[in-house]
Amino acid sequence: MAGELVWEQVARALEHGVHLLPAQGPIAVFVHHNTLHAFEHLPFEQAVVAGVDTYGAHPYWPESRYRNKVEWGRISVSDLEKELLEDLSESANEIVAPSTTRLQLRLAMMAHRLRIGPDAEIRWSIAETDAMKAFLPDVPASASNQMVHQVRHWMLREYTSTENVVDESLALVLIDLAEEFDFERRASWTDGTWTEFTLRFLYFICRKGASQVGHGEEQGPMPKRHRDAIRDSLHFDCDPSVNELLIRFLSSTLDQGLAQWHSVLSGEGLFHRFLSLYGKASDFVLGYLSPLREIVKREGHSSLTARESIVVSLAKMGIQEEQLDRFIESTLLSLPGWTSMVWQLETNAEWTPRPLPEGSLEELLAIRLLLDRASIDDAIRNRAPSAWRDALGENVEFARLVQLARELAPSSSQIATQQQRAFLLFQVAQRLAWNPLDLVSLSGAAWRNIVDELVQFNSMNRRRIYHAAYERHYREELLDAISEISKQSSADAPASSPRFQIITCIDDREESFRRHLEEIDPDIETLGAAGFFAVPMYFRSSTDAHYIPLCPVVIKPKHFVDEVAQVTHQEILKRRTEARRVLGKASHQIHLGSRSMLAGTLTAFAGSIASIPMVARVLAPRLTSKAKEFVGQVVKGGKSTTLCLERLPDDSVTGNGSTLQQGFTLSEMTDMVERLLGDIGLRTFAPLIVVLGHGSSSLNNPHESAYNCGACGGGRGGPNARAFAQMANDPRVRRNLADRGVRIPDEAWFLGAYHNTCNDQVEFWDLDRLPTTHQKLFWEIQEKIDQARERNAWERCRRFTSAKPEISPHEALRHVEERSEDLAQARPEYNHASNAACIVGRRSRTRGLFMDRRSFLTSYDPSLDNTDHDVLHRLLSAVIPVCAGISLEYFFSTIDNSVYGCGSKLPHNITGLLGVMEGAASDLRCGLSQQMVEIHEPMRIVFVIEATEEAFRSVMKRNAAIERLVTNEWIQVALLSPTSNELHLYHKGTFEPYVPSGRPLPTASSSGPWFHGWRGNVGFAKILPSHLEVRSSGASAKEPAQ
Amino acid sequence: MTTILDFIGFLVVLCPLVTLTIIGVTELFQHPMSERSISLLTKTNMVIGLLASLIVLASMLATGSRQFIVDCGNFGVLDEEHYHFHIKFLFDRLSIPMVIVSYVLVGVIGAFATKYLHNDSGFHRFFVVFAMFLLGLLVAFLAGTIETLFLGWELVGLSSALLIAYFHERVGPVRNGLWVWTIYRVADAAFLMAAVAMHHMIREGDFTGLMGSAPWPEGTSALSGWDALLVGSLLLVAAAGKSGLVPFSGWLPRAMEGPTPSSAVFYGALSIHLGAFLLLRMSPILDDSPFLRGMVITLGVTTAILAAIVSRVQSDVKSALAYASVCQVGIIVTEIGLGLWYLALVHMIGHAFLRSLQLLRAPNLLRDYKSLENAIGGRLAHGSFGVIERLPHRWQIATYRFALERGYTDALLLKLVVNPFLSFFKLLDRMESRWLQILSSDREKQ
Repeated sequence: MAGELVWEQVARALEHGVHLLPAQGPIAVFVHHNTLHAFEHLPFEQAVVAGVDTYGAHPYWPESRYRNKVEWGRISVSDLEKELLEDLSESANEIVAPSTTRLQLRLAMMAHRLRIGPDAEIRWSIAETDAMKAFLPDVPASASNQMVHQVRHWMLREYTSTENVVDESLALVLIDLAEEFDFERRASWTDGTWTEFTLRFLYFICRKGASQVGHGEEQGPMPKRHRDAIRDSLHFDCDPSVNELLIRFLSSTLDQGLAQWHSVLSGEGLFHRFLSLYGKASDFVLGYLSPLREIVKREGHSSLTARESIVVSLAKMGIQEEQLDRFIESTLLSLPGWTSMVWQLETNAEWTPRPLPEGSLEELLAIRLLLDRASIDDAIRNRAPSAWRDALGENVEFARLVQLARELAPSSSQIATQQQRAFLLFQVAQRLAWNPLDLVSLSGAAWRNIVDELVQFNSMNRRRIYHAAYERHYREELLDAISEISKQSSADAPASSPRFQIITCIDDREESFRRHLEEIDPDIETLGAAGFFAVPMYFRSSTDAHYIPLCPVVIKPKHFVDEVAQVTHQEILKRRTEARRVLGKASHQIHLGSRSMLAGTLTAFAGSIASIPMVARVLAPRLTSKAKEFVGQVVKGGKSTTLCLERLPDDSVTGNGSTLQQGFTLSEMTDMVERLLGDIGLRTFAPLIVVLGHGSSSLNNPHESAYNCGACGGGRGGPNARAFAQMANDPRVRRNLADRGVRIPDEAWFLGAYHNTCNDQVEFWDLDRLPTTHQKLFWEIQEKIDQARERNAWERCRRFTSAKPEISPHEALRHVEERSEDLAQARPEYNHASNAACIVGRRSRTRGLFMDRRSFLTSYDPSLDNTDHDVLHRLLSAVIPVCAGISLEYFFSTIDNSVYGCGSKLPHNITGLLGVMEGAASDLRCGLSQQMVEIHEPMRIVFVIEATEEAFRSVMKRNAAIERLVTNEWIQVALLSPTSNELHLYHKGTFEPYVPSGRPLPTASSSGPWFHGWRGNVGFAKILPSHLEVRSSGASAKEPAQ
Repeated sequence: MTTILDFIGFLVVLCPLVTLTIIGVTELFQHPMSERSISLLTKTNMVIGLLASLIVLASMLATGSRQFIVDCGNFGVLDEEHYHFHIKFLFDRLSIPMVIVSYVLVGVIGAFATKYLHNDSGFHRFFVVFAMFLLGLLVAFLAGTIETLFLGWELVGLSSALLIAYFHERVGPVRNGLWVWTIYRVADAAFLMAAVAMHHMIREGDFTGLMGSAPWPEGTSALSGWDALLVGSLLLVAAAGKSGLVPFSGWLPRAMEGPTPSSAVFYGALSIHLGAFLLLRMSPILDDSPFLRGMVITLGVTTAILAAIVSRVQSDVKSALAYASVCQVGIIVTEIGLGLWYLALVHMIGHAFLRSLQLLRAPNLLRDYKSLENAIGGRLAHGSFGVIERLPHRWQIATYRFALERGYTDALLLKLVVNPFLSFFKLLDRMESRWLQILSSDREKQ
């Protein structure tokens, strides 16, 4: 027996447990990350299984869902076969059953529906369905006829009487059968009777076979906590009463400003706050937790620190060192959302109004242990057999409790009962046309082999293969399409000098926008860069109260940037700010007052007025928002503002740390511009270059931040685009750049803009600085962007079942505008749902490929990279973690929405401005909602990177995070050769050449006809605008210029 | 003219009934309607019903009549027992505003829900229960006899419990739905006893028999003081259960398990007023018994104070709004007790609209707070709690705990009602099994 635990051991276990908690912070800043980040050190397939054990989640979809995909052709049988071959490698062709290879056996279990289920269901199937009357529908008639014929032949020609049958097991089967069939009159049985007889015969033999193997019983899982042992033996769950109290307590102590009366106890740590609230409370208050008072008093917890209290509690609970990790882990995970929020507020939320001090998680653990002990005591006192009380005494020791629980209710879990195995065998035998007469002669060992073979290929393994096949199907389509399209484009020289260039975020939602722009005018070149455009900053707009970081979460910005009014407008702006402040204070008072007693009465009398905005908002959201905007203009900040980008010499340093600066120096600006231009390989400049940041706005959507730009840490990327354009237009920056060898011609003008991906609006910034020489160009690109907005909205609308399928592009734009203003809309947009790929390379390689808004597009020109592949390294270090995070968060939220996701959005309830609960007292829900992922296909993202193997290997070598993601197969990687259309696919450590299937890539004249009218995913196509169309659209675009 | 108006008056109740029947029957026979036709049907009936109620209002204003009765006759009659189930709808100053408010609110929420629940697996189920809720509400508001009121009352209760347990694949909603249902049953039992007592006293359930034929609120009660006290206190228990007054107020946050706006609005804004409406309808009785009046006022004030304290510390938006609602309902009940009936009516209507809008916008809270912060230019100041903050620290903690535990109302019910009830029946169960054992062992001996 090990000695007493010391704090250091607990601290280690706690550190281990913390990693398993969800990593979602307060919901106002939503950052996509891998839900199973704690298991990234494991290969993907092991990690999902670890998730089953740790979180009780599904590793993959349920089998029925995949089988449905097989039936619809989303997974083909050949995909399954390829996956099985790859999984089994050499052992695929081993003979494991009569004239059946392992591959055939496994395929027979996967290609068609298997009836599996608990014993009762199987009994029902046999008694009530035609399972014994007809062969499985997928068994070919020839095979079933042959089997019936063989049995019939034997029965009529060779069988005389059961006594003459030598084989003992066959005789037993026949005795059973004779009870149901009249053997004497067998010569006159109908065909139906023969089929039934054959099937029964087969089933009975399978049942004999299955009985050759002993019960596959194994001991149930070892309880991790006291609660598990009590639940399994006494069928009483201690957790709900503890959780209820903890949720109330935590939601009020962590509250960031929702409650009007905040804890009177602020100032103390969580543990002592808790003790002063509940430590001495009466039985009446505590209910099932009433032993708490006694425990606190007896052991004097009020005078202990949280750490000391934990050590005491663990000792009293009899936790040994070897159980500690699992115990702490599962204790933390008994209320994962709230526990992780404590950790997040402690470590990662200095920007919130009320972060928690260091050590808060320990304090929570101390509280949890006390409450757990109280509820266990209560359960033992009131629900356990009286003998337990004497055996356990005052302190419920874990080992003794487990022992008692085992004695009371020995837990066991069976892998599969005999009946289940027999029925499985029966179905497989039909599919593989095993002759029942051959099966009779199998030895016990041979049966055991077959059954083992079946049992080994259990549901978990089948789901793994199904899933791999599901991913393979899409991957092969993608790689085929890319190899086809890049063959042609590498032949075509890229357009010499485009009239317009548009730099967007790499976001998958911009794929369609870029495609439409390119289709509208072949003279438009589009490029993709991470949406913070290499400008990391804390930004505050002229109407904002606080600075917000606009850059990927991995970067901590070092500069503040303010938006201020232009000098001539400063007076007006000041007046408006004052007006907004007064209105804001008034509405805040009304907001608070409406919940109080006296002011609430007053507001309630005036409440009938509330009916007007309510009815208007619900019945005509779009018009109401326009009206509101019109009225709001009186106090709005206005657009005559400018960014204070440059550091002023006498500017005192703001912020607390000395590393934070107000504005950038000239050389910093030059660096940023140079970096972005280098990253995307921009060398030839069009006269007008639009830099397009993006974000999203929607109502009644607590997850709004998740819809914004991931590269801006859940913020809106407009200011970054504006800042970048302002810098790149600065003549001093251009001079400095020229010295470094990057020459931006004088006639090139950068224009910052912002794309709202929810209502497809595009706003331009700093238009009053636009040189008059560029005005015509601006009108032209604005018209084209307007056209692209309509087409983009049109393409998005095909996914929304509430938009009619025959909608026109113009109506579509109105439809999406309404969506973003609609209080009732649970799906303002589909965000990253359906994302599946990320392409890193020159746009010219894939231009003209219809990718259905499923692909991130990053611009990278391998021909301009240096020999160390620094640009690739820089790009991938940002792109791979961000895209993998998005892909994996969507993956897990789709696979098991109730554990990894946050369930349906409909009952969500915002708590403490921190997150959402379901109803009024549940755990905080992390992850994505059912409405966000309903159209998503859970697949690991496929990166197609235009680089050589050597270049990519060098990146992997330099970046451990990327290497881990790639080698553990959390992402799929294919390399596209920079000089040809050859592809290499990463597989178990090597890059293997990918052989395209050679199926032709469909073509379409433009995106519209290709996607229009279809709700689901649309396959790849090559968009080949007919020359006539190109000319006419080009002519019409040029007309206003003439 | 009267017959046409009769029909229009009847139409007010008929519309939701038609919706309920059509959606319910098609669903029952496995031919579910499409989302589009459900929403069309609901909206059409809603508009017709609203128009009908406006026409009734207009004709009454035009003719200057203050009471308009649609009599549907006896639904069931048992002559020997002197029993009859009389269905009668009463349009007057009390019911018409409530009916119009219900149509507007439920109509708006119906329009809302067709989008909000779009593609949800329970869409049909929701709209069946939704129509049932509206039907119950209208029947209750328009009831001209106590048995009609009871019918509507029951429908509201049943549909509410079903809506709370809408997400029936999770444990929480079902458990809380059952909790609410139990409390409603207690209220129903009290109501039923009151109805029986009333029948016993005045030989009919008609409100005209009880309060004379003068239009509301001028009726005078036909009960004697003690009878009024008995009926009145039973009705008060019923009202307290339905309106979440002390000690039943704990059910309201539990009702927040349903789909956000729809069900939340129903409890936060509509059905929570049903108890207050009952008291208003029966208000003439209050005149008979000062003691009853005192009870109503005490209950109203206690509820308002308790809810005001509790709502201060609620840190999730729906619970905060739920207790804010309870607080206002407490004040409304107080107003009724004080005899300020028109005031209570106006208060009720205004409160229903305000709370609906707030609940519909509840998921928008983060955005609203952000824009407020931006307008003010800093963090939002916390509301203070002046009165309490002057107390000694120990008392403050006690008050805080009291608020955090929602006034201990649920604990009280568990301790005083639920647990004794359960142990009584467990005792009966034990006695029964022992009795059985004795009987069976007797037989074995033979």
